[in-house]
Amino acid sequence: MRPVDLKGISGKRIMELSLANKSMERAAKRLAELGIPDRKSEEYRYFDIEPLMEKEWEPAVKRRPQMIERAHRLVITDGMISSMPEGLEVGCSDTLDLDVSHFDPMYYFGHLFGGDILQIRVKRDMKLEIKHIFTQPGKLLTYRVAIYVDANVKLGIYESFEAEEAKNALIVSGIDLFAARDSRVALYKDQTLFESDYTPLFSYRFKIDGNAEVKFASFDMGSGNGLQTLHAQLHENSSILSDHLLYAVENARRGTVSKFVHIGRSSQSRQRAKSILADRARGIFDALIKVEHSGKYTKAHQNSKAVLLDSGAYMASKPQLEIYIDDLEASHGSTTGQLDEKELFYLRSRGIAYEEAKKMLILAFANEIIDSIDDENIKERIHSSFEYSYYGKNIIECIQTCHGCEKTVTMSQND
Amino acid sequence: MSAIMKIENLHATIGGKEILKGLNLDLEEGKVHAIMGPNGAGKSTLSKAIVGHYDVKITDGDIIYKGESIVDMEPEERALEGIFLSFQNPVEIPGVNNAYFLRTAVNAKRVHEGKEELNAAQFLRLMKELVNELGMKTEMINRSLNEGFSGGEKKRNEILQMMMLQPELIILDEIDSGLDIDALRAVSEGINKMKDGKRSFLVITHYSRILDYIQPDYIHVLKDGAIVKTAGAELVAELEEKGYAALEEA
Ligand SMILES: Nc1ncnc2c1ncn2[C@@H]1O[C@H](COP(=O)(O)OP(=O)(O)OP(=O)(O)O)[C@@H](O)[C@H]1O
Ligand SMILES: [Mg+2]
Repeated sequence: MRPVDLKGISGKRIMELSLANKSMERAAKRLAELGIPDRKSEEYRYFDIEPLMEKEWEPAVKRRPQMIERAHRLVITDGMISSMPEGLEVGCSDTLDLDVSHFDPMYYFGHLFGGDILQIRVKRDMKLEIKHIFTQPGKLLTYRVAIYVDANVKLGIYESFEAEEAKNALIVSGIDLFAARDSRVALYKDQTLFESDYTPLFSYRFKIDGNAEVKFASFDMGSGNGLQTLHAQLHENSSILSDHLLYAVENARRGTVSKFVHIGRSSQSRQRAKSILADRARGIFDALIKVEHSGKYTKAHQNSKAVLLDSGAYMASKPQLEIYIDDLEASHGSTTGQLDEKELFYLRSRGIAYEEAKKMLILAFANEIIDSIDDENIKERIHSSFEYSYYGKNIIECIQTCHGCEKTVTMSQND
Repeated sequence: MSAIMKIENLHATIGGKEILKGLNLDLEEGKVHAIMGPNGAGKSTLSKAIVGHYDVKITDGDIIYKGESIVDMEPEERALEGIFLSFQNPVEIPGVNNAYFLRTAVNAKRVHEGKEELNAAQFLRLMKELVNELGMKTEMINRSLNEGFSGGEKKRNEILQMMMLQPELIILDEIDSGLDIDALRAVSEGINKMKDGKRSFLVITHYSRILDYIQPDYIHVLKDGAIVKTAGAELVAELEEKGYAALEEA
């Protein structure tokens, strides 16, 4: 396979791809308009995108599995389905009702270079676990998933990631979610990354039809870099509840750039970001809620709260509202602070070790988001993701089995 | 008589200002010591110095607990070694569940003592028992730590922690202020139950009422950063009558 030089993608190559069909043509056009992201790109301004774009990437190999195993969850290995639950309707297609107003060029890049889109159709109420596995270190993996949720259907998705063997890979991916009228969708994304793991550039698109409700919650943790971009379109009476918990340590650069657009009247959006940043980590919450002329009587609330644990940590928080009408209810706010020294002392004065006391306060801060998960099983898994990233992956087992070594707990991952 | 704690020539500052100015005090094992003194004299500062509060900087002197200096010990180590302070103003910690917090603290102590940890059920049974004994509402168990608690409820919660943690040196900073009559009785009974002839108490108060209940062995007067007088319980009546100013002439 030819290496992909992201910056130097030739117009010719894009042209070739765009000939495939209408949606590819649109993707090519949009990518040409927006351009491959660089330092100056609005949506990537707080994320260090340059080094990723300058590198020459060798594309990951997509291996079609011999057979697709039956399992209780949907497993996507290097962009290909390797196992799936019985009765799930899954297909592959190179055409899609593309979002032509996504702000992220990598959304279009994903569609152009990702090959066939994995398409999942959900016709009845269900819970679905999607596990993404990445196995190719140093490669560029590009693939997209589309999920169609039928009218009146209730769907809960838990998305997790495993990448023991994908050091320094770049993953350009994401989901196009189509929530039909009166559907209820909850999507939980649980993604812990360590330094030198893969870098995800994930773009999500939520098309939310009348009366439909989408809840998206991301749990981004660890020391690795990654960015998710979200574009939601809300039609009449629909709603999105979007929660973002970020726990970033060491040199992580991690966060969310989003744009929620209220198209239909009486639609609602609520976005809550809670970020905990340690060491030299940088958190990003760059979120715009836009209410169109047609979006009368909407409710739009947006809030970002960050806690900086160390003086080198930094939060780039930019909640914004762009409103073209009067008849609505809207608010936005952003705060950044530290852990309360008094609270920390109180806990320690009862014999709770410093690291444990700190953890309790971090969880207290995060709990508003974790506690709003209505599935106990998922809540449990989010808690363990947090423990995992809090203690560093190499010492977590030690913590679970012995209590004498609490003093040695640090954030470091050194062996 | 052996001293559980010896405070020697303690000088301490808060924000660069000297508050404790050469304070000497011996606390005897199994005894109840009361400290009285005017507002701003340094009583809370002394209690904070003993538990290692970050506000207080010790500039001279020493605090010896069970024969060893503790001034360089972390606050949690002091707690694990058996020192407990009931705060004059306990902080509210939203989002930290009261029971979860207390179980973590109790189990940290048990692990430190080489005992087995209590599981959730064992712990809750114990906690419920004490909550009832202290006349607290059961819903307090699952509320956020002190959040929205009334002044009296916070004080009872401090006593609950004391009873669960079974410390050896108990410092009570104005445990009685803001308590109604029933609460004062419940709290005093809780304290009296903890007396076992080994445990020591340092009770900071402005009022004789609590001292009627818990019967101190010694009264110390702390004034302007130092202990200026030590006597038996009879001193309380004298102070009530004449006030602290009279001590100057004595
Ligand atoms: N955090 C602080 N910053 C500045 N000054 C402080 C601080 N804490 C205490 N002080 C000062 O130290 C002095 C002693 O305060 P402390 O709280 O020890 O008094 P106290 O004897 O406990 O009084 P009270 O009976 O009113 O509780 C006071 O003058 C007080 O203003
Ligand atoms: Mg005081």
